Amino acid sequence: MSLFAKFEKTAALYNSLSEMGKNPFTVVMEDVLGPTRATIKGRETVLAGTHNYLGQTFEPKAIAAAKKALDAEGTGTTGSRFANGTFSGHKRLEREIADFLGLGHCVVFSTGYVANLGAIAGLIDPSEDVVLVDADCHACIYDGCTLSGAETIRFRHNDPESLDKRLGRLDPKFKGKLVCIEGMYSMYGDTAPVKEFVDVAHRHGALLLVDEAHSFGVYGETGRGVCEAEGVIDKIDFYTGTFSKALAAIGGFVASNHKEAEYLRFSSRPYKFTASPSPATIASASAALANIKATPALKAKLWENANRLHAALTQYGLKLASGPAPVISVLLPTKEEAFAAWNFLLDQGVYVNMAIPPGTPGKESLLRLAVSSAHTKDDIDRLVAAYGAMAEAFPSARVAA
Amino acid sequence: MNMQQSGIQADDDLVFRRICALLDPLNKKGVKLTRDVDLVADLEVDSVSVLDIVMDIEDHYDISIPVNTISETMTIGQLVDAIHAIKGQQG
Repeated sequence: MSLFAKFEKTAALYNSLSEMGKNPFTVVMEDVLGPTRATIKGRETVLAGTHNYLGQTFEPKAIAAAKKALDAEGTGTTGSRFANGTFSGHKRLEREIADFLGLGHCVVFSTGYVANLGAIAGLIDPSEDVVLVDADCHACIYDGCTLSGAETIRFRHNDPESLDKRLGRLDPKFKGKLVCIEGMYSMYGDTAPVKEFVDVAHRHGALLLVDEAHSFGVYGETGRGVCEAEGVIDKIDFYTGTFSKALAAIGGFVASNHKEAEYLRFSSRPYKFTASPSPATIASASAALANIKATPALKAKLWENANRLHAALTQYGLKLASGPAPVISVLLPTKEEAFAAWNFLLDQGVYVNMAIPPGTPGKESLLRLAVSSAHTKDDIDRLVAAYGAMAEAFPSARVAA
Repeated sequence: MNMQQSGIQADDDLVFRRICALLDPLNKKGVKLTRDVDLVADLEVDSVSVLDIVMDIEDHYDISIPVNTISETMTIGQLVDAIHAIKGQQG
């Protein structure tokens, strides 16, 4: 029984929240009504806690491509990329992503989580390499470090000087050094000073990996992410991303100008030992990529919606984690207030994400609104009204006057 | 604030005292800070807060403490010992 003892405290909290109908971690989308609407607890709800940034979940061209692949190639690959799970679609999509990013090589993995796990663990030899990680990096980057078995050193969030110090005092015994950051961080919606990180990493002979999971398709002149916005996409060493946000499918990738990135195909256990994305998944990701490339208006609409929401929430005096971005987070001092405010919004017909420490960067809890280009004027109006009512009901969510 | 009020046990070890000072604001239950106090179980400090404290210590002593060392470090005393070991190597 001692196997289960450690869960008791968390289980008690989890169950009590469920009984009160207040558990953000057990939400079921009963009927999906469209890219920004679903039925939750029997009620039609505006979805603002999904990462459907470019509204591609119901893109007709992506659905048609997925159906065609389903008919032509079947429901699944029944194997890993390394064995029997590489179809021509996987190779074609790798080429399309590499071409879009202007990078020489791309390796497709089964999810974004798996891509980071696979990149870090596949590149690093724990007997001679070290990984340096931004303090606010996503769990999959930390898990990649754990899987690699290498020494892992954390530096202060978005602080190139903190990285500089840590690289400077590294034991000379380390042969390879990998620095991991993200483009846009998903909790606060803040972005990394990638150019400065490139300079610092390369000055110390380290390679830089940038996870653009949340910023791919969303940042930069042509949607190539924060690396493009910072003008350094050709300088970074590894670009990782996901199909489950802007491309509205599931899967992930590692892209690079280093030809050695191809070695991941045999060095990376998360590439070799899990099934590859299904043909329909690959086909919809490919069609969504073609669509977002051809339709810059999607990104423009996303930012228009993000700017309008950010301005409205600022107007209400809500305490926001960062400037306008596709993720807009309201900070609340305690998890109890965050639970209550999250429920309040759901009762108003609005679904957002809730995050509490240690899953958040600071000591505060937060309500995370993820904007979509598919949010209609009516969706935005409802979001603005719901947040206005919340600002009234929860003074602790507002900036002190 | 004197040492008695803040619940910090007198100890000559500077590393111990520094860690106690960093933990003090997080010590909401007013647990008496000794080497045997478990950061997570006794102080209920979450894992990320422990890593944030470690970063303060790194910058104070100009050393690097791998995350791997910390995940195994549970009590204040074990954290102090780990820092001494790394200071010995890097300092």
